[in-house]
Amino acid sequence: MEDNSYKLIIAYFEKTISDEGLTQLQEWIEASPEHQTQFSDTIHILEASKLYFKPQVHPEKAWAKIQAHISAEESQRPVKKRRWMPFVAACLICCILGSVIYKYRTGAEEEYQFLSNTNGKQAKYILPDSSVVYLGGGSKLKYPKDFTGKTREVYLDGEAFFDVVHQAEHPFTVATGDITTVVLGTSFNIKAYGHEDRIAVTVKTGKVAVMAKTRGHNEVIRYLLPDDQISINTQNGLYTFSETDADDVISWIRRDFIYYNTSLQDIVMSLEHHYGVEIEFTDPELSKVRLTAKFKNISLSETMDNLTILSGLAYTQNGNHLYISNNNQKGGKIMK
Amino acid sequence: MYPELSDEALTDLLQNNDHLALETLFNRYYKPLCQFSAVYTREYVIAEEIIANLFIKVWDNRHDAVVLNIKSYLFVAAKNLALNYLEKKKEPVDSIEEINTDHFTFQDGKNPFEILSSRESYDGILNVIDTLPPGQRQILLMSHIDSLDNRQISGILGISVRTVDTTLYKSIKKLRLLLKDFRRSAQGN
Repeated sequence: MEDNSYKLIIAYFEKTISDEGLTQLQEWIEASPEHQTQFSDTIHILEASKLYFKPQVHPEKAWAKIQAHISAEESQRPVKKRRWMPFVAACLICCILGSVIYKYRTGAEEEYQFLSNTNGKQAKYILPDSSVVYLGGGSKLKYPKDFTGKTREVYLDGEAFFDVVHQAEHPFTVATGDITTVVLGTSFNIKAYGHEDRIAVTVKTGKVAVMAKTRGHNEVIRYLLPDDQISINTQNGLYTFSETDADDVISWIRRDFIYYNTSLQDIVMSLEHHYGVEIEFTDPELSKVRLTAKFKNISLSETMDNLTILSGLAYTQNGNHLYISNNNQKGGKIMK
Repeated sequence: MYPELSDEALTDLLQNNDHLALETLFNRYYKPLCQFSAVYTREYVIAEEIIANLFIKVWDNRHDAVVLNIKSYLFVAAKNLALNYLEKKKEPVDSIEEINTDHFTFQDGKNPFEILSSRESYDGILNVIDTLPPGQRQILLMSHIDSLDNRQISGILGISVRTVDTTLYKSIKKLRLLLKDFRRSAQGN
């Protein structure tokens, strides 16, 4: 009851007290002289502490400094920018269409917002708790508007690299279907496209717990440390644990792609997400070829040229559609 | 400027190199950010410098990432920058927990007990506030910042709303105790 009295006095001071609260407070004050003292002491303390902010600030001076910096930076920007404007405007529209943020309420408590990238787009976001997330192509992330719940829970379909701010009381969890990755403060990559049957979690720094929903509740499958990777087959529930170079796995955030002994099938799926194209094989057997390759922030056509040289295959392109075929055949879509 | 636009709209405009958007955000949050920062730095000159630099940084990094909640981002960044400053200055980041009269500074050179034995002056109380356990002191002061409610404070500090609420009244309880002690010892002299 004593603690409640303080709550009421604070609410009164901050003018957020309800009518009911006000009545309660009056009754409580009148109940005894000690209460009266507690009330006046508390108000006195609150008024005094408010004076901490009595000194004036000087926004004009500060803004002058900032404005000077902006002007200096503007004068250094390339003059070409005028011609870029329609291009930038078009990109902005594409970006807005490609990265949609919209809200919806899940009933009582949390209001969630969505981030979504189409294939071919990737973006870096700073979440409300200041954690950083790089969201890959063809990926969606659902996050609570205010990270003020008991846990910081997000939902992912696609690929993302997270760099999470440590908050002792609030573990950060990423839900990807039945698999949940739990972290305190760390950086890690999750690849979990809903339409692919695999989920891969790779840790860059710190430690995570990967949990699976078995028999109705979440159980820890494995704890991962830096450079550990777990790969889960969502069809049959089997998983493999391996050690890898986390830097290679997260290289996509800088638009570098590194593949070690990866099947062409997997490489192609990765390219589809990153470039926003559709790639087909004229002969499914061709997709089983395994390659090791590194591509540093290059265009799709350069990537395809490299791939076909490495694999001894060929490709043809028709707008956003690519067809990989044997060298002595050229692929294409059969007219229906 | 765009005073009627939401934080999200302004953040979008920032991506488009619109410095009026930055100015709107500046006018909206500069004062509370300085107050918030001053809770850590304990003086305003440094706090203002930190916040001016923060807005410059926000401008410079506007294309680096999409900030989903710029208000939260600004306050968390302000806290981190203030703490970094204190770390570099090699001052103890948080004050000691026991009461130490050497911490009191009075312009009129009066003995703290003398001042407190009369109806406590506001200055006296402010000095006693500085001796509170750091978490209590911070939350008591932050509760007076206009743009921040307890929910937002909890988000910025990474603690639960419940913790903010209880810490707030704990700080008042503790202050009352401390002030009672001073009254008693002042009368004893």
